[in-house]
Amino acid sequence: MNVTEPGRQNALALRGLYKRFPTRIAVTGIDLDVPVGSFYGLLGPNGAGKTTTLSMAVGLLRPDAGVASVLGVDVWRDPVEAKRRLGVLPDNARLFDRLSGPELLAYTGLLRGMDPATVDQRAAELLDVLALTEAGRTLVVDYSAGMRKKIGLACALLHAPRLLVLDEPFEAVDPVSAALIRDILTRYVAGGGTVIFSSHVMAVVEGLCSHVAILDEGAIKAVGTLEDVRGGRPLEEVFVEVVGGRTATGEELSWL
Amino acid sequence: MALTQREQRDLPPDDFATVPGAADPMVPLWHFARLKLRMLGNGFRGRPARVLSFAFGGVFGLYLAGMGFLLFAVTAVGDPQAWLLAASFGGTALVVGSVLLPLVWFGVDDTLDPARFALLPLPRWRLVSGLLMAALLGVPAAAVLIATAGLLIPAGAHGGGVGAVAQLLGIVAGLLLCLALARAVASAFASVLRSRRVRDLAWVLIACVAALLGPIQIAVVSAISQADWDRIATVARVLGWTPLSAAHTVGIEIAEGRPWAAVAKLAMTGAALAVTLGWWGRTIESAMAGAAAGTTTPTRVSRQGACAELLPRLLPWLPATAFGALVAREVRYWWRDARRRSSMIMIVVIGLFVPLLVTAGARGIPVHGDGVGFDFSLSQASTASPITVYLTMLFIAAFVTSMLTNQFGYDGTAYATHLTIGVRGRRELQARAVAYSVFMVPLLVVVGAVMAASQGSPAVAAATWGVLFAGYGCGLAVNMFVSVLAPYALPETSNPFATGSGQATAKSMLAVVGLLGAAAVSVPVLVAAALLGDAWPWLALPLGAGYGVAAATLGTYLAGDVLDRRAPELLATVTPNR
Repeated sequence: MNVTEPGRQNALALRGLYKRFPTRIAVTGIDLDVPVGSFYGLLGPNGAGKTTTLSMAVGLLRPDAGVASVLGVDVWRDPVEAKRRLGVLPDNARLFDRLSGPELLAYTGLLRGMDPATVDQRAAELLDVLALTEAGRTLVVDYSAGMRKKIGLACALLHAPRLLVLDEPFEAVDPVSAALIRDILTRYVAGGGTVIFSSHVMAVVEGLCSHVAILDEGAIKAVGTLEDVRGGRPLEEVFVEVVGGRTATGEELSWL
Repeated sequence: MALTQREQRDLPPDDFATVPGAADPMVPLWHFARLKLRMLGNGFRGRPARVLSFAFGGVFGLYLAGMGFLLFAVTAVGDPQAWLLAASFGGTALVVGSVLLPLVWFGVDDTLDPARFALLPLPRWRLVSGLLMAALLGVPAAAVLIATAGLLIPAGAHGGGVGAVAQLLGIVAGLLLCLALARAVASAFASVLRSRRVRDLAWVLIACVAALLGPIQIAVVSAISQADWDRIATVARVLGWTPLSAAHTVGIEIAEGRPWAAVAKLAMTGAALAVTLGWWGRTIESAMAGAAAGTTTPTRVSRQGACAELLPRLLPWLPATAFGALVAREVRYWWRDARRRSSMIMIVVIGLFVPLLVTAGARGIPVHGDGVGFDFSLSQASTASPITVYLTMLFIAAFVTSMLTNQFGYDGTAYATHLTIGVRGRRELQARAVAYSVFMVPLLVVVGAVMAASQGSPAVAAATWGVLFAGYGCGLAVNMFVSVLAPYALPETSNPFATGSGQATAKSMLAVVGLLGAAAVSVPVLVAAALLGDAWPWLALPLGAGYGVAAATLGTYLAGDVLDRRAPELLATVTPNR
């Protein structure tokens, strides 16, 4: 199925993605277009279906219905070709953490069929930029949460993909590492790459993204450029309104 | 308000009412039981596979329990000394087993992980008794109860109603002791082993000790089988006066007219239970605090390239390709992952020990391998017959590969890496087979050499190598399929001994399935060995190794295609529950 619109290609296109777990419907038919060169934020409260959606988009979780395509290639019909263009940082997925940082990068690069010399050079550069060189031969299992996110990001970037899919890249990351990750991603987008990431930190999304989609109860509730969705208001206000949260009136919890 | 923690706990519930709606600290014990049942039930919801595996586990446990029951019950007739021996040694085996088995093989069901209660205002003893209560609701507890209930029959037959009642008390006390010991040991080790490094090391040490237990037990049993029965009965009586089997021999004291001794034995078991619970209570608090993050020791920054670091220097033939990287990672993981390493050490010890046992059996030393496992019991029948030797070798080879039964479970969610990259199934399985063989082929070579040395004939080495490699190749093939088709998740907890709830028995059955499958596939080699007779040693190596390589290649090709089709489902299965 060709989902590319004439004249403008989508880095990621989702059509009618649907996933049902034994006890509940996680994603109820999602359509989403991520234009090339966009910095896309996927917002949603806990349990909204962000991870499920992204997992189906990158080929980790088989959808019950629907199509996901990366730069025009169907992820589920031609996984090899699609995955070549894709860099993924899965949420809370353990990496092969009994390897050291350099070993993990070498492993990822060689598995992707890259030339060993290129792997060596890029790994050294990534470790240096991400301030992981000092960790030396420390195994990833002994890394801190922030270091783990950074090495995960390095693995996703190693083969210079055209699309980065990041699940909660800023969760449990200290401010210094978060700023570093932000810088790298901004530079990547400026260089023509596309990023889609999930988050529930409004400030990060507002500061970085060109496009936003708000996901709740497995469906997209608001989508468009940041300005469209925001409509001149703070993003947080729009978000709480869209997902139907409540604000404390002052009557309840009076005993506090 | 300067109340100590202790004083606060002792306050009557009314004083807590100053905080409106504060929880009543006197949680009834049956709440724990209900919680456990609810968690088991919720775990089953929408997971028919888990229900099935739990049911299989239950049936398996019931079968063992029934055997135990019969063993104890049948001593009601005949020599009363048999009763003493069964009760004393059976009880000792149960108590020792409940200390060791959770550590090495089955793991402790962590449905109610103490860490989950860390933030609740529960007094320590109430948490301990509540968890003990919850432990009573499980297949192992039910199995031990049913098995030891068999003791009621000789107790009733020889000691009348009083004997049966006293023995009933003993059975309950013994069951509680077993459960408390199992929990306390697991909890103690989980908390002692704080840093990952120490934990890994200790896990390996425990595996070594446990692997040596089989050999030690067999040596002891074969030694006492040469001694006279009266001396063994003395040993049994002494054991009966230790907490190991005091509870199980209560009925005997009543039957022999020593009610004071029965009371003393019950008191002894009670005291042992109290000490165990106290110990458990102390370790549980540190276990609740959770394992601290491993200390990062400063390591030197290497100057070589990343690829050179990944590929082990000891394996210079590994190419810097995807295949080489897969093999290198697997090789490093067999060594660096404590779970894998300890399994491997047990395999090595057993693999080296069994050939000696076979030889010993062939030389006419009486050997009774009851209760240790299939591989030992095979040797009972061994008289120097070559086919028996080959059969045992076949089982060793197949047993060696049974560590691959849940190879994807070891990886857990890390397997997502392969899925996002898109690793071909065939290449993945071939690399795993090659990496495992890096360790196991040398072992098999040594096993064959040990076999030849112990029988004093070099021809034996060639013959056994042939059978070993054939069995190993078939085992690889079968276990590749099992690992792709029936993987299961291992929990990611700080407790290295934990297994998922309700899975312990089912998981060992999968290994047995792999074992039997491998044996079945390698039957042609045995047939060839039988038909060729004296010519076999000369043809064994090319024929056996060829058959093994062919089977393994075919297995990885076919299972690899299955893996390609169901890789996302496999990832979902090995992902620990959300």
